[in-house]
Amino acid sequence: MSDSRALINMSISEAAAALRRGETTSLALTQATLARVKATEPTVQAYATVTAERALESAARADWELAAGRDRGLLHGIPIGVKDNCYTKGILTEVGSKAMEGFVPDYDATVVAKLYAAGAVLIGKTRCHEWSCGGSEPPTRSAWDRDRFPGGSSIGSGVALSARSAFGTIGTDTGGSIRIPATLNNLVGMKATYGRVSAYGVLPLAWSLDHVGPLTRRVRDNAIMLGAMAGHDPKDANSACVDVPDFTAAIDGGVQGMRIGIDRGYFLYPGVVDSVRAVTEAVMDELAAQGAMIIEVNLPELELTRETLMTIRMVESASYHRGRIREQGHLYSPGTRATLQMGEVILATQYVAALRARERFRSAMKNLFWRENLHALISPTIPVSAPLLEDVWQPRDDMENGETPTAGFVHHVYPANLSGQPAISAPGGFTPEGLPVGYQLMGRPFDETTLYRIAYAYESAQNWHERQPPQV
Amino acid sequence: MPMPRTDQAAESETTANQLIRLAEMLRLDLAEEDLTALADQLQTIDALEKAELGDFPPILRMDADWHE
Repeated sequence: MSDSRALINMSISEAAAALRRGETTSLALTQATLARVKATEPTVQAYATVTAERALESAARADWELAAGRDRGLLHGIPIGVKDNCYTKGILTEVGSKAMEGFVPDYDATVVAKLYAAGAVLIGKTRCHEWSCGGSEPPTRSAWDRDRFPGGSSIGSGVALSARSAFGTIGTDTGGSIRIPATLNNLVGMKATYGRVSAYGVLPLAWSLDHVGPLTRRVRDNAIMLGAMAGHDPKDANSACVDVPDFTAAIDGGVQGMRIGIDRGYFLYPGVVDSVRAVTEAVMDELAAQGAMIIEVNLPELELTRETLMTIRMVESASYHRGRIREQGHLYSPGTRATLQMGEVILATQYVAALRARERFRSAMKNLFWRENLHALISPTIPVSAPLLEDVWQPRDDMENGETPTAGFVHHVYPANLSGQPAISAPGGFTPEGLPVGYQLMGRPFDETTLYRIAYAYESAQNWHERQPPQV
Repeated sequence: MPMPRTDQAAESETTANQLIRLAEMLRLDLAEEDLTALADQLQTIDALEKAELGDFPPILRMDADWHE
């Protein structure tokens, strides 16, 4: 197989199978990916750093190992990108910040080390918003429409995948930063259970809300990547001591008899535009047609998730950045600095109120799953499709309360950061204008397997994931 | 002639002003629009303090027993 176009369009599992049949090599996959990087980067700027020489060496080693019978698993020899807030030994790690310019870590984040151990080939570091929150915009542009917002903060991880300049990428998600780029770029993004993936060596935004997870073009690929990334890490105090299952083992088991909840009052609130609402309904209809039961539920505690998460996020971010901003405040863009400093004025009593509200929310969510015997909750991932860049911070014309697209982005994604339960965004359909629309599934803690099974059932019934962006 | 403020509005303004003064004391060097955003954000936090939080403690527990 020598057609580079065919190579870069393969899924991880297809590439893995082709490698083992001898139809391609890791070197060929990597060369094709690097050629794609060269062709698309002038347009999309998904990568902060490209490690071409290192990637070619890793690919050659992967081929040698496979030929010698040392098979590290399905990621062996697969080209990937890693968000630039993850430490990579010997490779620039700048998290979109002037304060980190030129920083080269002397160790790997645990998640990076695990991916290396699984044989993955690092193509480079993907761009992110400054300190993963950012008041300044990276130069990264959407492959679907360069005038539209491609998501954040894992912006390069989303765009690199849709531009076919990686087979899988790593993102981080404190308030939707894996799932939002996933939905805007027609991808699968998994924010696994809090503690499922080690955050050691990942620059934090808010310790108790940060999650590390995979983005891919297909559901099965995502399950493969999470399997390589997950596991207890004694270096991370919040790492969970739980077994890592084979997330792909029952992926094609179907949804017959599964109970999937929808809180229409909250998840389909007036801010959800018609095209996104239609996609969500279509996903539920398809899952129901395959035998799932769609259960109407009501969880009033969802209403305070925004205030609760923002309070915790602001305090934790301010705590982390306080010293650095005192010394290097001039190296932060003004908007980012303000965002990261605001938490300093939140009172301890307000912070404790937020922590208690989080526990109340988590308890209510758990009781809902118990009471209704739910396998998952379903919702849109965000209420809109990709807005024009010029409109991202402007009040929406169709919202009387002046909600901006960015304010709306957090409505559906914050709850799972707050509760710590797993949540996946997967391709659900397209708007009439041809923009991707995702849907979200939230599950039980440490039951990512069920979310993959549901998402795979929907993916298998349609071909949205096959659509490619027109811009590259 | 200015309209009389409601007690709620006066309370919110006081809270915001107090916290903005705190920001100044901490020398956070925030621009005016950031202070406005901060005030807006802090007013939303009032909802948390007014919420009925019962006996819920300020800890997060993660367990896997959400389902039979």
